[in-house]
Amino acid sequence: MTSRGTPSRFLRSVLQNGVGRYVCQLKRISIVFSKKAQSSLGARDFIEEGVVDYANKNPGTVVYVSPQPCRVPKIVAEYLNGNVREETITSKTSQQISELLTKLTNQSGLEIIHIRKPFHTDSPSIQGLWHPFTNRPLSIGPIRPQKPDSQ
Amino acid sequence: MASGYLLNRGALTLGIHCQRVCRDISLSQVREKKRWMKAYTYLMAKKLKLEGPPPPTPRSQQPHWDYHAEIQAFTHRLHENFSLELLKTVFTNPCYLQMEQEKRKGLGVESETAALVLKDNMQLSKKGSAFAESFLIDWCRASFPSLPAIGVESIVGHLTSPAVITYVAKNLGIEDLTMSAEFPVPDDVLCSTFMAVIGALQESSGAERTGLFLRDFLVTQLIGKDLFDMWTVVNPMGLLVEELTKRKIPLPEPRLIRSAGASTVLPLYFVGLYSDKKLLAQGPGETLAAAEEEAARVALRKLYGYTENRRPFDFSPQQQQQQQPFIQSASN
Repeated sequence: MTSRGTPSRFLRSVLQNGVGRYVCQLKRISIVFSKKAQSSLGARDFIEEGVVDYANKNPGTVVYVSPQPCRVPKIVAEYLNGNVREETITSKTSQQISELLTKLTNQSGLEIIHIRKPFHTDSPSIQGLWHPFTNRPLSIGPIRPQKPDSQ
Repeated sequence: MASGYLLNRGALTLGIHCQRVCRDISLSQVREKKRWMKAYTYLMAKKLKLEGPPPPTPRSQQPHWDYHAEIQAFTHRLHENFSLELLKTVFTNPCYLQMEQEKRKGLGVESETAALVLKDNMQLSKKGSAFAESFLIDWCRASFPSLPAIGVESIVGHLTSPAVITYVAKNLGIEDLTMSAEFPVPDDVLCSTFMAVIGALQESSGAERTGLFLRDFLVTQLIGKDLFDMWTVVNPMGLLVEELTKRKIPLPEPRLIRSAGASTVLPLYFVGLYSDKKLLAQGPGETLAAAEEEAARVALRKLYGYTENRRPFDFSPQQQQQQQPFIQSASN
């Protein structure tokens, strides 16, 4: 059977997050930017204004700030399930970077690929899944089409 | 062109000759075309193909790591308060201490001048695993009062098995913080670290909060699992007969209810178990024996209250008033 060219997964959460308590899945972010380059201007502004507020609001995430000579500033986000996501923040403004960070914080670490169904349940049926024998009266002898009840 | 060699696609698209060199800037660097770059890249690719990928290194040995900050974030992330000195001992494993002692001996450092002031986590780990077992047994008995002791043991055994504990520990970030001799951290070391976390939580915050922690992270692993995945029952019919004699219900008689495709390669039979002419349970199977066994299992699930459509477990945050962890159930 042919399948989609791109990978896909089912909707799920890491470790049934949210059923018990909610655990923020982002464990650390590293902001790598340059001290002098133009593309890191937004990153430098964000470090001046917004990063301390972000770190205070998310005490469960470790924020590493790393000024290095680099051409492309990036944010490396590591999640609890081991996935690592890199986002480049070249020529983004401070506001855009903080929105990006909010987006990364709210994600679980699962891959951003096609989700087959937008729903998932562990108890698909309360009264029992239908199968062709449900609600069929028992019979002795050959099976005939059911006569409609005449009432 | 690059026949037989795996090359980074980026190298091909950017043009191999203009690749950036490593970060330490020296005066001998030039920006022009580097004639050695192609040969170097091909050699490195060949080496990678020969030797395979490099072995994984622990997160603490990769850039951007601050142990104190990581431990603080760990406590905040789980919404718990641990005392920090306890946490420092929680993640220290005896194998790590041994390795450090050997390193010091190897370097010739005297044990008095540079004594290792770390305690290992064996005590906390034992305490934690004892508490975890007792809590899980009590929780099981409270949620499934008619489940017999063997069933409770198997469920608790499954929940405290290395497979489940390592899965939970890896997805909580405990593997990064563990200090152990080998990497990747072996399963038993990870399990004992997780139990040490439980022990430390018990000492810092008390039994109730530890119970809630275990409920939120271990009991949730039961969601979607069937009873007989965790509890291997070899003779379900015999077990059912025992249960029914205990409850003084007449013994089950199997009867064929439905059949389809009896002479085909995929027959289907539904066998129903009747006690005193009332239907206990029915189950499907490919052969009559398989269908009878499945019917016995369905009947057992109904008796123990572990069906798929049972009332879901209560994971609400303020459950302390209703939860009484030391209920002794009178039945069975």
